[in-house]
Amino acid sequence: MLNMPFMRLKKVDISYKLENASVKAVRSFSCDIEKGDIVGIVGESGSGKSTLALGIMRLLPPNALLSAEIMSFDGKNILNLNQDELRRIRWKEISIVFQKAMNALSPVHKIFTQMYDVITAHSSDIPKGRAYKMLTELFGKINLPSKVLNMYPHELSGGMMQRVMIAMSLIHNPKMIIFDEVTTALDVITQGQLLDEIKRLVKEFGLTAIIITHDIGVVNEVCNKVAVMYAGELLEYGRVKDVIFSPLHPYTKALVKSHPDLRIGNELIKGIPGSLPDLTYPSKGCIFYPRCDVRLDLCKDVKPKISVLGDHIVKCHRIQG
Amino acid sequence: MERILEAKRLKKYYPIRKIGRRSYVKAVDNISFSVEKGEILGILGESGCGKTTLGRVITRLETENGGDIFFLGNNISGINYRKMKNFRQKMQVIFQNPYDSFDPRMTIIKSLETPMKLLNIGQSKKNRIEIIRDAMEKAKLTPAYDYLERYPHELSGGQLQRISMLRSMLLKPSFLVADECVSMLDASVRAEVLNMLLQFRSELETSILFITHDISVAKYMCDRIMVIYAGKVMEIADAKELISNPMHPYTKALISYSPTISPQKERERFTIAGEVVTPIDPPPGCRFASRCPFAKGICRTEEPEMKEISPGHFVACHLID
Amino acid sequence: MEVQTEVIVTRRKGKNIIKFWHNYRQSLYGLIGFVILLLFIVVAVFAPIISPYDPHAMKGEVLLSPSISHPMGTDHLGRDVFSRIVYGTRVSLSVGFIAAGLSAIIGIFIGSFSGYYGGIVDEIVDKIVDTFLMIPAFFLILIIVAIFGNSIFYIMLVIGLTTWPQNARLMRAQALSLRERTFIMVARATGESSIRILFTHIIPNGVYPVLANTALQMGGAILTEAALSFLGLGDPNLVSWGKMIYQARPYMTFAWWTVVFPGIFIVLAVVSFSFIGDGLQYAFNPKLSVKQKEVSA
Repeated sequence: MLNMPFMRLKKVDISYKLENASVKAVRSFSCDIEKGDIVGIVGESGSGKSTLALGIMRLLPPNALLSAEIMSFDGKNILNLNQDELRRIRWKEISIVFQKAMNALSPVHKIFTQMYDVITAHSSDIPKGRAYKMLTELFGKINLPSKVLNMYPHELSGGMMQRVMIAMSLIHNPKMIIFDEVTTALDVITQGQLLDEIKRLVKEFGLTAIIITHDIGVVNEVCNKVAVMYAGELLEYGRVKDVIFSPLHPYTKALVKSHPDLRIGNELIKGIPGSLPDLTYPSKGCIFYPRCDVRLDLCKDVKPKISVLGDHIVKCHRIQG
Repeated sequence: MERILEAKRLKKYYPIRKIGRRSYVKAVDNISFSVEKGEILGILGESGCGKTTLGRVITRLETENGGDIFFLGNNISGINYRKMKNFRQKMQVIFQNPYDSFDPRMTIIKSLETPMKLLNIGQSKKNRIEIIRDAMEKAKLTPAYDYLERYPHELSGGQLQRISMLRSMLLKPSFLVADECVSMLDASVRAEVLNMLLQFRSELETSILFITHDISVAKYMCDRIMVIYAGKVMEIADAKELISNPMHPYTKALISYSPTISPQKERERFTIAGEVVTPIDPPPGCRFASRCPFAKGICRTEEPEMKEISPGHFVACHLID
Repeated sequence: MEVQTEVIVTRRKGKNIIKFWHNYRQSLYGLIGFVILLLFIVVAVFAPIISPYDPHAMKGEVLLSPSISHPMGTDHLGRDVFSRIVYGTRVSLSVGFIAAGLSAIIGIFIGSFSGYYGGIVDEIVDKIVDTFLMIPAFFLILIIVAIFGNSIFYIMLVIGLTTWPQNARLMRAQALSLRERTFIMVARATGESSIRILFTHIIPNGVYPVLANTALQMGGAILTEAALSFLGLGDPNLVSWGKMIYQARPYMTFAWWTVVFPGIFIVLAVVSFSFIGDGLQYAFNPKLSVKQKEVSA
């Protein structure tokens, strides 16, 4: 596979089977990620952004169905892997950090024990002493005191817990980390501290990262590229400065306009009237059509094609590529 | 200007039992402030700083341990639940969780009509339903009857929060406490809710105590902002003044760490370490001293007084003269 | 407009019942229990029509084995067992409904009151409930009936008065968690009186576990009445299943029908109520029923 980007996703579809319907949570998602990118996937609740992350990691619940034209990572096809191959990829190649760190850690075991489990899961012959030294070193790199290793999860604050989770995801030196709403439950300052840390780590470890968030402010703080998702579809993708400061898609424009900001004057913010469409039967046309304020008649029934303007991708009839 | 509410040296301590002795979480400790007619005062702070407790004490959902609350010229501190009923119409609350703000077994109309009936608004049921319908239509919750006969679980968070706001506003209160009223909502919906609140303020001249953790939202909504940390006021000032000219190190950190979507060069972070502390039997001195990069000896021994550094701008910090 | 509102509201209430039934149906046990109970109610209501003989008439021959004229045989005094069982249904059902109903009402009031108000009231109630739960209720009932007499009303009353603590405990737990909910805060912030909050919000939202438990208690009450009768402490003026077994004891080795049929009916009644309890669990707790929640992406 020559000339492949670091990660390529093409026409990824994910649906959830329910009792008598199926919810098409992600539809025809395509994007390329280059090595060293920090890509923000931004969207509101129900946009499918977390489902996509779980899909990449193959951690979807059993009632989910994933299909894609291409899913490749670092020159390898990661679409049709068996359980064994998948296990090798997780943690060692791509790892994920979730929002709810508390749920991911066992409350009755010390941090060290739990991290040692992760170490031995992939390389079984590391003695405890060496693992401890290794972890102390790793903790040093993300500004965690090594005494945390001997603590229980409930003794840690939210920010510390997320750092532990990040440390855990780094144990096997993955090439990519997906951060799924990792700062959502944190306070502003803690969030800022953690984002600074993530930015630094990506550079230091030579990582590629995907940051899933609902906050375009967070994207602007850490990411260099951003993918805007709405109701399961990618509507706009490009460099942060292009997408946020000169958005092309009406949804992105509206999203930016709905965001009160500290450093911009006191302009009136505007909401987006209406609500998320029913994803059991997504419309044939543009998914944003019912809430769009610049819609055309065409938009109702014809799905817009993806227009490529350099490295800026938009899915809207008003934009010609 | 007419003073709607004044709080003087308000205290709320929660006892916690530790082996051997009784400790107190000093959630609200000597907080004084006032709200003028038609003013929006922001209470800004991180989780656990006491902002929600403050809101509950003001609205008499919790009883204070000391201090006075003057509401429309009456001292309402310490009065009992039944006597407080006379003030309920004039003082309303909106809570954080819109999904839980309605009795799940009641239709929206019932939830809206009951408080009006109890507080003798409208002559008859028919009249009250008309008032509600008009208000719904004005708030663009149309068609009104489509909402009124529904149960809460059939509506979205944004719709519920707007209806919850409407429920309070139908009572024409002179004072409203909005406790993190948009923190559970998506960006596109959040803007609608905030604008609705601003509209109510200008129509009814209601004073609002706007409790939030989000400084961007506070800046958009508030006339003045009061920053609290671990139960103490750090700084109060006009919103614009506070953001353009923050004096307290904590305020500086909050502003510096809060994500923004303005185009930015690598700006200098005002970095602080550590995370929010819970004020359990706090040591003497400034509550922020443990995290303050400039803390001196006096900060750990003596509590800083509120100083007025320019008209209306108060700071509690030893470093400022 | 108002009229229209009313119409739609009733339609929606109808929908709620359909939804309730939809969830209830998920439990096969619940369905079976419901059908049995329905049959029992029909039998109790139409007892005079269904029973072929007067339950007290000593006309037939004594201890006849089941035959076409006496489908369940006759007892030692020549009374028709089937007719006695049919009339016994009335006693058993009313004991079940009234005793467990009384227990539910007392439990709901005391439990919600103590959970919502908290403080010293709650602590006292909690201790009383603990004490009651520790005492073996049946012996208490036995002593009270022995002292105050054994009319059916006493029996119902005593069963109700000794079994409410279970319900109170369930209701209290509900009230404790409900009072922290936002909509209760909203009610308080609009000045609704505590009594009103209790009756319009706390009880309607928290009563379901108590109702499911009450179904079980109905079965329990029927069993208790049967046990009392079996010990000779039943109401002397009424036919009840327990009393039938008590009276047939000396003959059961050679006239099995005198004890087996009433026994089967006791078991059926108890089982039906316990099955209904199971169905109610499904109906009131949507988490048990098939998950139809929207997938949050």
